[in-house]
Amino acid sequence: MSDDSIPLALPLLRFAAGSSEVTTLYRELRKPLLRYLICLGLSSDEAQDVVQDAFLSLQRHLAPGGKQENIRGWLFRVAHNEARNRQNSYHRRFGEPLDAETDSLVEQATPEHAVLEKEKFRQLALAIGLLTESERACLLLRAGGLRYREIGEVLGIATSTVGDTVERAIKKLAEKCNV
Amino acid sequence: MCDFRGRLIAWLDHELSQDEAAAVKRHVEGCRECRSRLQAYEHVSRTFDAYCDAAMAAKTSRRVPRWVPALAGAVVTVTVLLLAFPSARVEPPRPVHAPTAAAIAARVLEPAPAPRKKIHRQHGVAPVQNQAVNWLPAEPAVQIAIPAEAMFPPGAVPEGINFIAELSIGPDGSAERVRLRP
Repeated sequence: MSDDSIPLALPLLRFAAGSSEVTTLYRELRKPLLRYLICLGLSSDEAQDVVQDAFLSLQRHLAPGGKQENIRGWLFRVAHNEARNRQNSYHRRFGEPLDAETDSLVEQATPEHAVLEKEKFRQLALAIGLLTESERACLLLRAGGLRYREIGEVLGIATSTVGDTVERAIKKLAEKCNV
Repeated sequence: MCDFRGRLIAWLDHELSQDEAAAVKRHVEGCRECRSRLQAYEHVSRTFDAYCDAAMAAKTSRRVPRWVPALAGAVVTVTVLLLAFPSARVEPPRPVHAPTAAAIAARVLEPAPAPRKKIHRQHGVAPVQNQAVNWLPAEPAVQIAIPAEAMFPPGAVPEGINFIAELSIGPDGSAERVRLRP
């Protein structure tokens, strides 16, 4: 398993402390960050607050010439830590709040497709509920486009551990969802 | 058990070195079991992504309450009905004013509608009622015929001189307009 990560499509080498670069990062990473935080259990308002705080921290970090490597991982780590600080929100389990809310997705499909999608999500929600916190976090960060090395930096675990955890989590979901 | 089974997900995630990835690719092309597992892992990954998207869409979308369209429809319906049938509008009742003493006096002096007594004028003028046909106002009017000798002392009004007093009475009973016509 390689330890190198694919360079971000962001001009990190040319990244300066200017606000325009932060704005570019904001446009690119706001949605993945929001999705990650919401799936962790934060409300939409809480997630947006955390994302804004994370980018303010990024600007403060870069202004005095802070480290410019792996800004994406840095942002996810700041957001992840802030989410953990909001203990009440963080302890809401990932699978629980989504069970009823996925109706909004299937409303746009045909009735047959809606039933199938709803059943698929229901099974997946049950399976997600059986994952450990670390497994869920690894899958969420992986779904956010982070590489194993970046996930390891966010969660403070080794890259090899991330690989093992992701593999274990995917196999669990595949087994529980009968695919 | 296949030796490559533990590296399939890392291969899917492009986390293997070039040599390792090439080896897994060669193996998968000839191993039906690994291909089947790969399909299952890809399916789970896609479903997980869709689930995350659904969670975000559900929490970030501003849903319109169900009663809003119903209320809007009701408002439109009432508006259309009012425009189509303007006479159906309910008007508030007009304020009722207590009649003043002048109004009461005017009503008291009003002659009974029938049988109408013919007034015999000593001045030999034409009856007031005949001339009043030309100046009847559009709104209901009360006609009161008063002989000149009942209002003026004898000889004050030359014989043959006649005049009509138009008196408009407001809603509150007060006299709004007085006009004398020959």
